[in-house]
Amino acid sequence: MTSSSSDPDKLITKLSFTRWNADWKSATTLYEQAAIAYRFRKDNEKAKDAFEKASKGQEMISSYPSENISIAVFNIPWDAAKHMESAGALAKELARWDEVSDFHRRASELYRECGRAQPASDALAKGASFLEEKAPEDAIKMYDEACSVLEEDGKEQMAFDLYRAAASLYVKLEKYSDAAATFLRLGSAADKCNAINSQCKGYLSAIIIYLYAHDFQQAQKCYNDCSEVQAFLSSDQNRCAMKLLSAYEEGDAEEIKRAAQSSAINHLDHVVIRLARKLPTGDLQAIKKDLAADDGEDSLDENDLT
Amino acid sequence: MSMIDVLIRVDAICKKYDKYDADKHRNDAAAAGDPFSRLYAAVDHEIDAAIEKSERAAREGNRAAAVALNTDVRRTKARLLEEVVKLRKLAAKKVKGLSPEEAELRGDLVSALPHRIKSIPDGGGGGGAADWNGGGNVRPGMKFDSSGLEFISEDLDTLKNLAEDMNEELDRQVPLMDEIDNKVDKANADFRKTNVRLKETFRSTRNFIIDIILICVILGIAAYLYE
Repeated sequence: MTSSSSDPDKLITKLSFTRWNADWKSATTLYEQAAIAYRFRKDNEKAKDAFEKASKGQEMISSYPSENISIAVFNIPWDAAKHMESAGALAKELARWDEVSDFHRRASELYRECGRAQPASDALAKGASFLEEKAPEDAIKMYDEACSVLEEDGKEQMAFDLYRAAASLYVKLEKYSDAAATFLRLGSAADKCNAINSQCKGYLSAIIIYLYAHDFQQAQKCYNDCSEVQAFLSSDQNRCAMKLLSAYEEGDAEEIKRAAQSSAINHLDHVVIRLARKLPTGDLQAIKKDLAADDGEDSLDENDLT
Repeated sequence: MSMIDVLIRVDAICKKYDKYDADKHRNDAAAAGDPFSRLYAAVDHEIDAAIEKSERAAREGNRAAAVALNTDVRRTKARLLEEVVKLRKLAAKKVKGLSPEEAELRGDLVSALPHRIKSIPDGGGGGGAADWNGGGNVRPGMKFDSSGLEFISEDLDTLKNLAEDMNEELDRQVPLMDEIDNKVDKANADFRKTNVRLKETFRSTRNFIIDIILICVILGIAAYLYE
């Protein structure tokens, strides 16, 4: 085992009088073998390093034209990306969170060079899932990048789970407006794919999150915007949202609790259901006063002929 | 003289001088000739008969007989509701000798009839008042049905949600399946090409080996002959 790991180093680094070029191909093969052997032996540190070097080797190989002259094709860095992902998984075992993020990002870039958006997004999503507990901010960024990769490639339908994961992380970090914005983003992605059920659920989730954050104005605006979508207008989720908002307008806590128990809410994400069960939050009377004040201003405007 | 004696005496005197009561006679004359009054009296009588029948059905021990009585009551109720329509038309007509207050009273009586008819118990949905209250039911069995309907409604909601999610998932899988299909076709074509090339290589190799074997055999024979 040690001989196979030392040989690649010699092949690459020891340029001598007889050796003018680094022999990446043989070194890469040896590094791959070494990495697999170290992983089998549960020597994660050395396996991670070996995978990293194997990935680098594959990149170097893929940057040169194929040896077979009849096939004038550049090799694609697919194997480089796979090795980088494996290195990232091992970095997670070693709790090296920076390296997890770097390796998975690099793997995603390599997949994109291969022209494969789905694996690129999967690599970012995997890295983000590893970082959820320890580095949630980084995880959210990676989820965001993963969603963008799929959106650019026109594969929004594959991104729904990523949107939900990102939104639940935002809720965990108590960034409610960002969470609601993510659900609205899910809604617009679902609109493109004609996934009406997910679209309506996304809109309802956004409204519930705004209400949980006790931002009734935003919830109302969100509802008004979403009502312009025909699909949402004729859905069960719209009826549920209407009941909830009218209960808030009346300041009826019992009615809010009853509306929050409805079946349309029971089929949402569990994170959103938990928020809905805790409604109402804050002072309902304050909302009523704000609404009354707004109505007063409106009536003044109507009567004001100047 | 006690009070009861006084009342009996008053009734007797009223009966004796009844013929001199002009108002009553006029009303009777009007009633005898008035189609509204005749029809109303008939409907009233039938309502009373239907109520009595339904009470008998409730007391009836034999289920089949009770069912027959209840069916009859329901048929009567349906027929009476049709009669109410005729009564409404008759009440709207102007009758000679009828004061406006009495005309209004007729209208009120006709409006109250549908409620009276619907409130006749017929063993199918309980009393009208109970229905209108929305909460109470005549039989305990009805309470189970409404809560059972709620369970069914919740389950249907869940099924609807599952079906919609499955629909979306299948829509998501369609382009992936198409991609797999294309890749498998490509791999299949490559496999066939490789197969053909291997066959050619094997054939040429086989010929070469056969040639060598034949040469060795000939050399062996020649060596044997020379020795």
